[in-house]
Amino acid sequence: MSELQTDTRVSIMNQMPEAGVTARSALYFSQAATQPVFGPGQAQVFLWEDALRGQLVIRGDAGNTDFAKGVSSALDLALPGQLSSSVSATMALLWIAPDEWLLLCDLEQAFAIETRLRDALTGHYAVINVSGGQTQIRLAGSAAASVLQKSMPYAVSDAHFPVGKVVTTALSKTQATVRRIDSTDWELTVRRSFADYAWRWLTDASREYGLHLGQPEHNEN
Amino acid sequence: MRQTNRLSDGGRIDRSKPMTFSFNGNQYSGYEGDTLSSALIANGVNVIGRSFKYGRPRGIVAAGADEPNAIVQLGATEATQVPNVRATQQPLFDGLVSQPTSGWPSLKFDLLGFSGQLFGRALPPGFYYKTFMFPQAAWKFYEKHIRKAAGLGRSPTEPDVDEYDHLNQHTDVLIVGAGPAGLSAALTAARSGAHVILADEQAEMGGSLLSSRSRINGAEASQWVADTLQELAGMDNVLLLPNATVNGYHDHNFLTIHERRTDHLGDRAPENQTRQRMHRVRADWVVLATGAHERPLVYANNDLPGCMLASAVSTYIRRYAVIPGHSLVAMTTNDAGYQAAFDWQDAGRNVVALVDTRQAPTGDCVEEARRRGIRLLIGHAVIEAKGSTRVSAARVAPLSEDGQHLTGPAEKLACDTIASSGGWSPAVHLSCHTGGRPVWNDEVIGFVPGESLQRQSIAGAIAGTFDLAGCLEQGTQQGAEAARQAGYEAKPASLPTVEEPATGNAMALFCIPHEQRISRAPKQFVDFQNDVTAAAIELATREGFESIEHVKRYTALGFGTDQGKLGNINGMAIAAKSMNKTIAETGTTIFRPNYTPVTFGAIAGRHCDDLFDPERHTAMHDWHVRHGALFENVGQWKRPWYYPKPGETMQQSLDRECLATRNGVGILDASTLGKIDIQGKDAREFIGRVYTNAWAKLAVGKCRYGLMCGEDGMVFDDGVTSCLGEEHFLMTTTTGGAAHVLEWLELYHQTEWPELEVYMNTVTDHWATMTIAGPDSRKLLAELTDDIDLDKESFKFMDWRQGTVADVPARVFRISFTGELSYEINVPANYGLDVWEALFEKGERYNLTPYGTETMHILRAEKGFIIAGQDTDGSMHPYDLGLDWAVKEDKPYSFIGKRGMKREDCLRQDRKQLVGLKTKDPSIVLPEGAQAVDDPKQPVPMTMLGHVTSSYYSANLGRSIAMGVIRGGHQRSGETVYYPLSDGRVVEAEITSTLFLDPKGERQNV
Repeated sequence: MSELQTDTRVSIMNQMPEAGVTARSALYFSQAATQPVFGPGQAQVFLWEDALRGQLVIRGDAGNTDFAKGVSSALDLALPGQLSSSVSATMALLWIAPDEWLLLCDLEQAFAIETRLRDALTGHYAVINVSGGQTQIRLAGSAAASVLQKSMPYAVSDAHFPVGKVVTTALSKTQATVRRIDSTDWELTVRRSFADYAWRWLTDASREYGLHLGQPEHNEN
Repeated sequence: MRQTNRLSDGGRIDRSKPMTFSFNGNQYSGYEGDTLSSALIANGVNVIGRSFKYGRPRGIVAAGADEPNAIVQLGATEATQVPNVRATQQPLFDGLVSQPTSGWPSLKFDLLGFSGQLFGRALPPGFYYKTFMFPQAAWKFYEKHIRKAAGLGRSPTEPDVDEYDHLNQHTDVLIVGAGPAGLSAALTAARSGAHVILADEQAEMGGSLLSSRSRINGAEASQWVADTLQELAGMDNVLLLPNATVNGYHDHNFLTIHERRTDHLGDRAPENQTRQRMHRVRADWVVLATGAHERPLVYANNDLPGCMLASAVSTYIRRYAVIPGHSLVAMTTNDAGYQAAFDWQDAGRNVVALVDTRQAPTGDCVEEARRRGIRLLIGHAVIEAKGSTRVSAARVAPLSEDGQHLTGPAEKLACDTIASSGGWSPAVHLSCHTGGRPVWNDEVIGFVPGESLQRQSIAGAIAGTFDLAGCLEQGTQQGAEAARQAGYEAKPASLPTVEEPATGNAMALFCIPHEQRISRAPKQFVDFQNDVTAAAIELATREGFESIEHVKRYTALGFGTDQGKLGNINGMAIAAKSMNKTIAETGTTIFRPNYTPVTFGAIAGRHCDDLFDPERHTAMHDWHVRHGALFENVGQWKRPWYYPKPGETMQQSLDRECLATRNGVGILDASTLGKIDIQGKDAREFIGRVYTNAWAKLAVGKCRYGLMCGEDGMVFDDGVTSCLGEEHFLMTTTTGGAAHVLEWLELYHQTEWPELEVYMNTVTDHWATMTIAGPDSRKLLAELTDDIDLDKESFKFMDWRQGTVADVPARVFRISFTGELSYEINVPANYGLDVWEALFEKGERYNLTPYGTETMHILRAEKGFIIAGQDTDGSMHPYDLGLDWAVKEDKPYSFIGKRGMKREDCLRQDRKQLVGLKTKDPSIVLPEGAQAVDDPKQPVPMTMLGHVTSSYYSANLGRSIAMGVIRGGHQRSGETVYYPLSDGRVVEAEITSTLFLDPKGERQNV
């Protein structure tokens, strides 16, 4: 039974369904419709959906030390500054805008984390569960950066886009929050309704480099 | 076929790789390394096209981007047709198929041709204005034939089979042009560690060095090119882009490069390769090393095939090992022109004479010409070419010291080729693209880039530096400067040693005098592509066109696809002389992107077909597809339009969906409606300021309809907003208006009311929304939830409840856009499809019927509910719409639009007001957009009262219904108006209330 909770100030809800409900990620159908071009041995691009993550938008004033401390104590993660991220074993906290962050976590933990955040925060802030509203596309491989060059105007060189950096920018004709996880491993957060378009764009852009759908074999992530 | 003009050795072609190709239906052969033009010359093809206006035969003049005549149509199949390709820039490949683009109806004999006068008299300068603009109706006829004759090529009639794409590049230094200056700049900049992109339009980098007689470091210049390229290619921080034309220079050092990746390989790109790529480059510093274009001299009949640029003659001989004729007369105003004669002689053919317009030329070249025993005519000029389809002779006469008069009789020299060099015009094009104006330099005898508006420098011939040592030095300097500007330290580089001839002063001469004055002399061509003559330019100035921009437009000088690379400076010099001004005073026209024509494919990139525009899908999209929905585009969303069953017409489907909903239960995917989560202690106050109605007392658990207006008081969006908590609201917007509404809220929050503590976030995509509507909707919902009390007294109309639906946490809103008992179920999108399918599983016994946007439109119209953007058009305030009840004028704080809707004009009683319309004949459905009149018999133009905004056939009512605006319509209920239609029918309609069904609203309150 889901836990229902309405205080008078804000309405929050545990959004996990009962067992037996089928969850379908934003790219559930798109992935099934895509054909790989080469096997993993020859591919220079690996593309997969990091599906069904918990996602919370956190709004607040970074200059307010109570807010910054509250977030980091609730998450055990430093509140990242401009264009950067903080990462732990199960979470990643991404800077989105001067008063906005995106927390990626286990979907099952989203409600507990939201509650912890609300318990730790006071004053003017907001937490919004957007787990169903966007998804993470992972792009890896030696030609991943070239695929991004085809797709977005932002520079992807090591100097301009080091590991850990987060940039929200245009991805072809939609938008993505792009995080560099490792030198050849990228995470693209896209809106759910645009995910199929982004996926088709990326698979198309990857084709000339050899595309494998799924993670590289050495990647245990 | 024998290549009669192919030299037996030398050149940079690969004789071990022969290739065949066709031009104008004839088969020829060439070698790898040829361009199409060098291969045509090898095969002795003289006439490439005919001129636009006079139909005169034209041959190859140049060897690069400046070529005006050899414009061909490429493509072996219909799908691979490419128009406007310069044969001089098209690498040869085996199986290349090309056609001339000019010379309709045939190259050998054409309608315009022979006398060259058929159209000529009708096409004086300014002909577009003088001849064709009146009568206007005739222009269509003229244009068709002018275009055909003009040789503009044609677009393919089948879709392009190749792929094109875009690539964003960021670099410290972009160097444009890989001649001596560009290569040395690249080397110096790259050695500093800066990231360097070096782009060159040719297949092989090296520029003039590939055909130069000068030596670098004691070896052939091409050896230095090879060494330099090898070093650059080995560096990780260097990207070499051959076959890549920097076509556009935009603000903020953003440049576009058109890279032809496979055009040199074949008619089609190999699989999984893009044919062409547009590089979108953002460079910290740009070095323009674009070189210079040689100017031909203007003399009588200078357009005859066989009249060529001196440097082009050299390039063909030295680089491509083809010689464009047997006997040469070379005319020059400078030392560079001598090289053509030397190369010609070295190729073993006859140099008839070297004609130097200068009175006392000095320099190594002059000495060498004498040593070689070439007949040197000092202080002379070629005043006229003779011949019909090929030069047969040159008439040469002595020239005054200033070059403006002939001082003796002409001598006729038999020859088949006339090379001319009037000096070099720096290729300033890119420097002009962002607004830089070139300035005249008397020493250079050309325009050089003026002050740069960008982070950019110039090196080499573009700066007027024409000697090789100078180009290498300047390139090195500017490469170092570029690196420094980009934050790197460039070490001083040692310059290579150069052996090149010492040169004397050049003479500023553009148009060669003739025995007859310009207007009487045989045609002296300035712009070959548009057939602009020296006489035409003179005439234009006589007719009062004094600004060079006006001369350009009046004569069409520089209007062709070559943008006047060959003729512009000569044209300006002629205009200046004719107005007794200096060239500096006359000035120059400037250039805009693109430097050379770019294919539409490269511009479109991958933004085509199903990637042209994003399609937004809801979580239930796959279900809709599987159930045969037809889709309607709403913004970028794909919304189910209606769900036809086999054999149904559209109207039958709509009737079925409408009746099922009103009589049982229907379901709509409403996920696309914008949803904005609003949190903060001032959320309620904020909402009260952006909506026209009252929000102060809306209790937690309640929903309310709101109207949103601009400052002008006009409605732009509407929707239901629900109070989730004292400091928490969920606002819904129209599907298409969602992004605008969120921006609107942010705009007001950030600029007007930053003191309000409120955060807005889009949750449109997070919630999947399904609306079940109809008398059976409560029964259906009851089967799927056990923790929401659905009793009509505890869960009232305009309430919302949180609970579980189909085992998924949900918010359920009892709101209605149909006027029926209705619930909007919101669940996290990941489970949307699962809940949707659960509804259908339980809904089978209620004949749960999916309906699309069209049925939604009909059902809401039966209730007179507006759709913002359909029944409103930005000129209607809430009172026009009869929504007085949704405006609360006495809120303590004002609201957006309050003042605007009280303007004098907004208070008029005869404004267009929204009313219901019932046609007298209930079977007639008024067309949306039809205009109402009071008297259909009045003469046209009639006095129009307003238009129909929504119109449908309502199966529930068994008749048509419509909404529309009528001047003063709220006072005219019961009156009759007439709608004269374009097919001649006049439809009579009665003005009614917009509430066609259930006027008391009882159906939604059950």
